[in-house]
Amino acid sequence: MNRAVQIILSRPLSIAGSVLIAVVVLSAAMADLLAPFPDHRGTVVDFSNFNQPPSRQNLMGTDLVGRDLFSRILYAYRLSLILGAVVLALAVPVGVTVGLVAGYFGGWVRFVLMRTTDVFLSIPPLVLAMSIMGVLEPTLTNGMIAVTVMWWPWYSRLVHNLTLAEREEGYVLAAEIIGASRFHVMFREILPNCVPAILTKMTLDLGFVILIASSLSFLGLGVQPPTPDLGSMVAEGAQYLPDSWWLTVFPGLAILVAVFGFNLLGDALREILGTEQ
Amino acid sequence: MPRLLSGLLACALLALSALAANAERVLRLDEVAVGELDPAKASDYADSILMFNVYDTLVLPRQGGPGHTPHLAESWVGSGTEYTFTLRSDVSFQSGNPMTAEDVKFSFDRMVSIGQGLSFLFGNVESVDALDTYTVRFNLSEPYAPFVSALVRLPIVDKQLVMNNLGDGEGEMGDWGSEYLSQNGAGTGAYIVKSHNPQDETVMVKFDGYFLGVNERAPDTVRLRYGLEAATVRTLIAQGEHDISSQWLPPEVKKALAADGNQLLTEGGTGSFYFKMNTMKEPLDDVNCRLAISSAFDYESVLKLIAITDEISEGTAATGAITAGMFGAKPTSQALSRDVEAAKAHLAQCRHDPSTFSVEISWIAEVPLEERLALLLQANLAEVGISSTIRKVPWAAFAGMVENPDNTPNISQIFVTAVTGDPDTLLYGMYHSSKAGTWQSPEHLSDAQVDMLLDAGRAGETDGERESAYSALNDRLLTIAPSIYGFDSQAVFVARPGISVPALSDPNMAFGLDTMGFAFRLMEIE
Repeated sequence: MNRAVQIILSRPLSIAGSVLIAVVVLSAAMADLLAPFPDHRGTVVDFSNFNQPPSRQNLMGTDLVGRDLFSRILYAYRLSLILGAVVLALAVPVGVTVGLVAGYFGGWVRFVLMRTTDVFLSIPPLVLAMSIMGVLEPTLTNGMIAVTVMWWPWYSRLVHNLTLAEREEGYVLAAEIIGASRFHVMFREILPNCVPAILTKMTLDLGFVILIASSLSFLGLGVQPPTPDLGSMVAEGAQYLPDSWWLTVFPGLAILVAVFGFNLLGDALREILGTEQ
Repeated sequence: MPRLLSGLLACALLALSALAANAERVLRLDEVAVGELDPAKASDYADSILMFNVYDTLVLPRQGGPGHTPHLAESWVGSGTEYTFTLRSDVSFQSGNPMTAEDVKFSFDRMVSIGQGLSFLFGNVESVDALDTYTVRFNLSEPYAPFVSALVRLPIVDKQLVMNNLGDGEGEMGDWGSEYLSQNGAGTGAYIVKSHNPQDETVMVKFDGYFLGVNERAPDTVRLRYGLEAATVRTLIAQGEHDISSQWLPPEVKKALAADGNQLLTEGGTGSFYFKMNTMKEPLDDVNCRLAISSAFDYESVLKLIAITDEISEGTAATGAITAGMFGAKPTSQALSRDVEAAKAHLAQCRHDPSTFSVEISWIAEVPLEERLALLLQANLAEVGISSTIRKVPWAAFAGMVENPDNTPNISQIFVTAVTGDPDTLLYGMYHSSKAGTWQSPEHLSDAQVDMLLDAGRAGETDGERESAYSALNDRLLTIAPSIYGFDSQAVFVARPGISVPALSDPNMAFGLDTMGFAFRLMEIE
């Protein structure tokens, strides 16, 4: 633990990452308290005050129907984090299990599982998610499903490679010799040794999941109005550049802060957990 | 030394070529993709810009007033079921072929055989006879009052040229030259198509042999580009690299460009914006639920949203189902307004309990303004206790969805214009029960009285008869509320200073017909 703190403190970028993530998580968690206009995340319109530049009353200006942009960004963070967490909570167990089984059993099991994974990996991620969303209705739940479907193969690949290396280690052979079950060897012996790498990747991925979800809603395939969402805010605002710059710049910065923060933190984790390879 | 000389020579040549380029008047404008060049398939704004410049029609709307003037025709006589036109004898196609009665007959036959675009306007024309070289007769199956106005959508094509370029297809006429005409022009119009890519750009040049002559200050070359982003158009105009924007730019962008000293051009009086309610699906099958929604809508806020400057707006207050200025329209002093109490009273009489339903409001993905209108309606409905969801629908998907009442959203948003300027082409397609389930008619309305009045409106022989039929129709449509009559729309375009477009800036020169203002021959570039 001390070493972890030491590593973080010794690298200014890690400090920056931790601070950024703290800001993102806190603003999402405390949106109800921090947002000056909490009702602006829902069905509110105010055409006497629309498309206004940043002011003391509206720190980041107002959007095209008169809602406070700052309040909406706080709520959009909440949604993005939930989406990221749910996607990883679904994708990681699936991907890890597939990778472990394929790596440990080898032979035709490995062939079938890893070629299936390759099929998913061969389709560009955004195209895959877009085609899924094209078939399903654009809602938050379906957005999560689409991103999950494109995310698990990366974990299979990672864990498969790690398992291939670990299964030849002495401790695995020892466990097998004393008669441990295959299940035990995979999940109790090999998996704990893969956790650091998985954790690092998850931290890095959280930022990318937010980015992909934003890309989907930028294309109109994500969360539907009036629910605030960073990607759709950028998409709407882009038409009004450069005059109404606040419509795009602030949500864009918000995405940048989250993605950048998780990346820096992921880098620090990689060093702390010794998974730099 | 020789190097210096050749450098100087190159500079001089460059300067000369720049001068030559300056001397050419180029007009650059944009529209949404795709640009359909075949005049028999033309229906939307981009198609119509091409059609009105590459082709001509027998008549044109009178500038600055009602009625029509002869154009390719010299004169016409007729009423009821028979109209005879005498053609001008001095008109040549761009190919050099003379324009005759045979070409008119061919153009009609071609349009009706292909059966796309606005061919439905000629549904009650039985046949066309070329009586002699310059006389042509239209035989109608029943009296159709707006027949002459419909002729502004019958572009005359070069029969000989098309016959030389027939493609494969069923029957003697093959593809009726569709493939050829989707890439090439074959008209008498003032502009010749030089190159055409329906997704990207059409380049046109002035036709020197145009029968009316073309103003010397009119553009020599026109570049019509498709599918530019709003931010791109905004930047190009600011840099002086684009001349006229499409009407689809968001109001805020037009406002910013106007503040930079660009002009705003307008074209209005031919259509309105509607929220269309699906009368075949619960809960809006109940007239009281529909009236509740119509009364709850905030008509005044919309006007704030679409205002561009203090004087110019993308629309004016609606007075009813019929656009102000047309037969049967209410006076502009009777603007519709919000009435929350009336809305609640109607809702109380609706047989569906508002706590048990939620209505779906759709908006067309290509028209960002509609998302804001959806959010406004959602907030208005929440105030009277109706919950709603908002759904974004791409235009291509919308047209398919509305064929079946079950798939049609509870509320859809559509801009509709009278394609010939006559109220028949605004209202018949929207409200006649035989036309239900198109993009214009997601109400799926079936009302015997409305049908009867629509038929009376198109058969009326005098203006008085038509006025009273449409007036009664307007009252009926306000009583049964199949739609929220949002506002009377006006198209606004941004143009660089130095471009003069009288038909879009001077009411006395306006045509009263959508897109006709984009006749490039009537524009001037300084």
